Amino acid sequence: MADTAIAHDHDSDHGAHVTSTGLSNTKLGMWMFLGSECLLFGGLISTYMLYKGRVNSGPQPDQIFDIPFTSVSSFVLLMSSLTMVLAVSAAQRKDDRNTNLWLTITALLGATFVGGQVYEFTAFYREGLGFTTSLFGSSFYTLTGFHGVHVSVGIIMLMALVGMISRNRVPGNKAESVEMVGLYWHFVDIVWIVIFTLVYLIPS
Amino acid sequence: MAIIERPSSEVAIAGGSTIGVKPSEALGVFKRPVASTSWRDWIVTVDHKKLGIMYGVAAFFFFIVGGLEAVLIRMQLIAPNGKVLNADQYNQMFTMHATTMVFLFVMPMAAAFANYFVPLQIGARDVAFPRINAFGFWCFLFGGIFLNTAWFLGGAADGGWFMYAPNSSTLFSPSHGIDFWSMGLQITGIASLTGAINLIVTSLNMRAPGMKMMRMPIFTWMVLVVQFLLLFAIPVITVALFLLTFQRSFDATFFDVASGADPLLWQHLFWIFGHPEVYILILPSFGIVSEILPVFSKKPLFGYPIVALSGAAIGFVGWGVWAHHMFASGLGPVSVTVFSMATMAIAVPTGVKIVNWVMTMWGGKLQFTVPMLFAIALVVQFTIGGLSGVTHAVAPSDTQQTDTYYIVAHFHYVLFGGAIFGLFAGFYYWWPKMFRKQLSESLGRWNFWLMVVGMNMTFGPMHMLGLQGQPRRMSVWTEARAGEGFFNLGFWNRISSIGSLVLSLGVLLFIINVAYTHKSKKVAIAPLDPWDGRTLEWMTDSPPKEHNFDTIPTVNNLDEFFHRKYAQDGTTHEITQVATAEEVLAEMNSHPDEHIHMPSRSYWPILLALALPIIGYGLIYNRIILAVGVAMVVATMFGWAMEPSTAADDDFDPPAPGDGGGHTKELAPLG
Amino acid sequence: MKSSRRWSNISKPVLALSSLVAVAGCAEDAPQDTWQPAGPNAKMIDDLQRPIFYIAGIVGVIVFAAVAWAIFRFRDRGQAMPEQTHGKPALEVALTVIPVLILIGVSVPTVGTIFDLAKTDDTEMTINVTGQQWWWEYDYPAVGDNAEVYGISDPIVTAGQLVIPEDTKVLLRVTSRDVIHSYWIPKLNGKKDSVPGRVHLLRMEGSEPGIYAGQCTEFCGLSHAYMRMEAVVLSKADYATWVANQLEAYSSPSAGNVSAVEGEKLFLQQCARCHQVNGLLNADGTPNVAAPDQYVVSGAAPNLTNLMTRNTFAGASWDLLTPECRDDVWNATPGEFGEKYLAGVSEDCLNQKDLREWLRNAPEKKPMYADPTKLTETGGRYRGMPALGLTEDQISALVAYLLELK
Repeated sequence: MADTAIAHDHDSDHGAHVTSTGLSNTKLGMWMFLGSECLLFGGLISTYMLYKGRVNSGPQPDQIFDIPFTSVSSFVLLMSSLTMVLAVSAAQRKDDRNTNLWLTITALLGATFVGGQVYEFTAFYREGLGFTTSLFGSSFYTLTGFHGVHVSVGIIMLMALVGMISRNRVPGNKAESVEMVGLYWHFVDIVWIVIFTLVYLIPS
Repeated sequence: MAIIERPSSEVAIAGGSTIGVKPSEALGVFKRPVASTSWRDWIVTVDHKKLGIMYGVAAFFFFIVGGLEAVLIRMQLIAPNGKVLNADQYNQMFTMHATTMVFLFVMPMAAAFANYFVPLQIGARDVAFPRINAFGFWCFLFGGIFLNTAWFLGGAADGGWFMYAPNSSTLFSPSHGIDFWSMGLQITGIASLTGAINLIVTSLNMRAPGMKMMRMPIFTWMVLVVQFLLLFAIPVITVALFLLTFQRSFDATFFDVASGADPLLWQHLFWIFGHPEVYILILPSFGIVSEILPVFSKKPLFGYPIVALSGAAIGFVGWGVWAHHMFASGLGPVSVTVFSMATMAIAVPTGVKIVNWVMTMWGGKLQFTVPMLFAIALVVQFTIGGLSGVTHAVAPSDTQQTDTYYIVAHFHYVLFGGAIFGLFAGFYYWWPKMFRKQLSESLGRWNFWLMVVGMNMTFGPMHMLGLQGQPRRMSVWTEARAGEGFFNLGFWNRISSIGSLVLSLGVLLFIINVAYTHKSKKVAIAPLDPWDGRTLEWMTDSPPKEHNFDTIPTVNNLDEFFHRKYAQDGTTHEITQVATAEEVLAEMNSHPDEHIHMPSRSYWPILLALALPIIGYGLIYNRIILAVGVAMVVATMFGWAMEPSTAADDDFDPPAPGDGGGHTKELAPLG
Repeated sequence: MKSSRRWSNISKPVLALSSLVAVAGCAEDAPQDTWQPAGPNAKMIDDLQRPIFYIAGIVGVIVFAAVAWAIFRFRDRGQAMPEQTHGKPALEVALTVIPVLILIGVSVPTVGTIFDLAKTDDTEMTINVTGQQWWWEYDYPAVGDNAEVYGISDPIVTAGQLVIPEDTKVLLRVTSRDVIHSYWIPKLNGKKDSVPGRVHLLRMEGSEPGIYAGQCTEFCGLSHAYMRMEAVVLSKADYATWVANQLEAYSSPSAGNVSAVEGEKLFLQQCARCHQVNGLLNADGTPNVAAPDQYVVSGAAPNLTNLMTRNTFAGASWDLLTPECRDDVWNATPGEFGEKYLAGVSEDCLNQKDLREWLRNAPEKKPMYADPTKLTETGGRYRGMPALGLTEDQISALVAYLLELK
């Protein structure tokens, strides 16, 4: 993340490089990356939308979705965005202790969500929806699985950040590093809102 | 003399012996390479110029591989019922020819130029994320090698570069070729994506003072458009490749028609990527000729804002035309109409470029150097390709032409006559900047003319072949369908095959030219400004120092360098030279920047990239290999994350007193 | 490109010259020439594309002339530095508007043609066309006008050659049993992909009796190059004869034809499990029903009833007629064509060489996925026809039997 060639005579540790747009390189880079990710999820969501009704064998979507359960885990993920905001604001106040606290809580909420997803997958599998059962199965697991992997990567990033902050080993600007992870985390949350709406709430 | 605050390899070279370096502290198992020399420096380098050269060398290697594949294809088709290759080998050959040329030659060769010249053209010291840049290069190289190892492991991919489902499933292609293909492209895709983010941030964020967007050299502009195309196109092919891999390796049902799958899903995903890809291939070359034509016409690019914006327009409309690859796929007439119209619309900004190139030459003072020859050939040949493109924007006409040799002729005029000629123009134009030696102009002319003759001889007859009904991708053709008369399809197939040999000879002359230029003692050091250049990359040493510019220039004009060399008389409007390049450079360097920080070398990019093909082999062959690959990814990412981009000050011993002269020592030229 | 007479009314000398060059450079009578329409659909496309090629040619000539003039006129002869002009907005706008206008001009007839070619409500006959690796099946269903007007009282299933009546708007329902193929008879219409799981509609109409060649144009795997097709256009009277012949009941070879009788037995043992011959009886007197779905990935093999009324085999890759007899049929005048085509394949005209090679070792002649040791992914099923390991005597008997199938 903090991998910036210094264009001008400023020290990276002091943040605020002079850039042509005023945005830091890392932030602009992260925005670009997230823009690209939109298309990744766009492709996966389109695949799911095309195939959700195509069930030659195994259960239909509305036969297995447990909307209350998934709503709760979605709410948990949404709350993690709130705690992420708190972490970023603590980092900007240079309050390492609270930064770490909120980052850890965010990671825990994220882990709860992933745990819920694992539970959901096992439940669906027991009800007869395997990865290869039907087009619905393949595209459902692929879409939500990709999202789950993104959340998991986010959790790893959060925990790594916590580790680095507590040993004071963050390369580059600390507040900006937290903000970058935050941007990613919010993006993953927003994607989930879209997936939750399209996959679970809108009936096929 | 500029003062570089942290030592780099030049310091080590300058001292005559390596200066003692204190190992970087516990940032993983490897010591941080801070001042390595020789070949090791190429492994750990994060310098955009070295990476650019490595991109170029590797891409050219793949160009030769793809070219040999092409020659084999043409030898197979020189006569009816060819026996050079069997059907299976032929199918692998054309699949890998296209894959190699698109993903392993034209794209990375454009990346080579972009890496080397974008920072120089905008007055930056490096790209925004140097280590990610290095990682991108190694991903490309290892991905390309991984893809090609399939040849030795049971056969390469055999489904065509478009890899239409369901022919790509294990039922119809049981060898591992397509597994190698999909995972190899996934790895090179990472290179493109990271490169795109890097170059976008670099050109948006790291421009020299005064370098407004509308003062950026046009090559940088085109590269920027291409990076946005990559940014949004790569994830789409990533999705498609994941679906394919899941289908082949984990029995997912995405393209299984028996489960109700729609094979057109793949086509849409592929072409939503694939059409922007076409512009990804051609726009960098448009950028290169838009640099070269003004230099050798002694005039600014005609209609610079329109050329820049039409590039952006092509990039934008390019997203709305993908289904013109699918006019015969069974879309409804309404979709066909929409995509037919959109395709015609994109001809307008493309035509604008051609008009502007001609108008740039118009009224100029043309010097027919080899780069200029290649540039003019691009204008002419691309026009032919563009016009044949319009004939199949007309959907009903396209239903007769698609999947015939007419299409093969069309896109080779665009991609060989256009993109590759542009790249060769770039070789000749920028060689003295990169290597301080000018490629021989006389050998270059031979190179040029053989390539022009060979290219038109190879691909020109394909127009005839296609319009008279010879389909593509056929391992053999038969006399029964070749017609009568002297000029039957057999005649044109022979001409085309002989043409491919002429073309190969032309490319061989380029290699000879490079060898001659660097081996012969007769070739003198090139002057600082051999072509009377107009843009910033000529306003520094050749080759540039690691930090590119001793002084970051302040930009007041489009074609800044030209404006520093020439002045116009207020009354007579006569333009006269007021300074030589050397004088401009000396003037600039009289107040060198202090406190220049350059990013430090790193092992992590190459190690992380190396893990990816290991994962690929693991997915195909063995779970243990897979586990090793994944462990390597985790370990290297951790090491990378813990490593600051610039090695800490205490990683180094203070430079020996009085070796300041070493800071500006020029790099040894390659070869 | 052969039909230069149609071009004679073009007055512009540039066009005449370029036409001449093009005509001189073209093959005569290339069977798949896209510029020699032989039916109204292909004609529609031709009428659209010719002017567009001219326009493209003119634009090209203008650009090349401009480049050539610039090269000639503005080469460096030691003139002063040119004015550093950055462009002339008025000129640039004009040069943008011109291509826009040309393209608008081109797009109007394009849209019209797209919709005309997509019309399906005025067709008079329906044929199901199914692609599979690596041949085409034609199924003439006994419904609607097919039965009422054209006498197809029972479904006719054939392979290799599409047979349609002259001046009749035929609707092809194109689909596939395995991978994507593309149906293309250039002289009759543009191509249409055959996609598994989808049915695509393609108009087909021939204005003159004759044979029109085509080729699968979507890459479909190993033997893509050997997946060809032919469309036969017959006069309406001849078409009725053809239909009647196809529907004629099967009769076993007469006892006098010892070799053919032997061949029928062999056919039942070796071929009939995949290849259907309507009316063929098993040794126990029950009707033989082929079950290609057990042996072949696509689940189909060419129906060989009346094989010798077609003059091609193995995905239309080889002729059943000797070269002389083939030329006699292919080059017949429209008036004589029907009679010659309906004569079928006689013993004298049979292309023994290719047919015997095929029966001896089919995968050697046409690349197929038929090595029994390599069928792991397909559950033991072939893609294509395996080598049957027949002796020369058996091949002779089979050939004698196949000659009876007409």
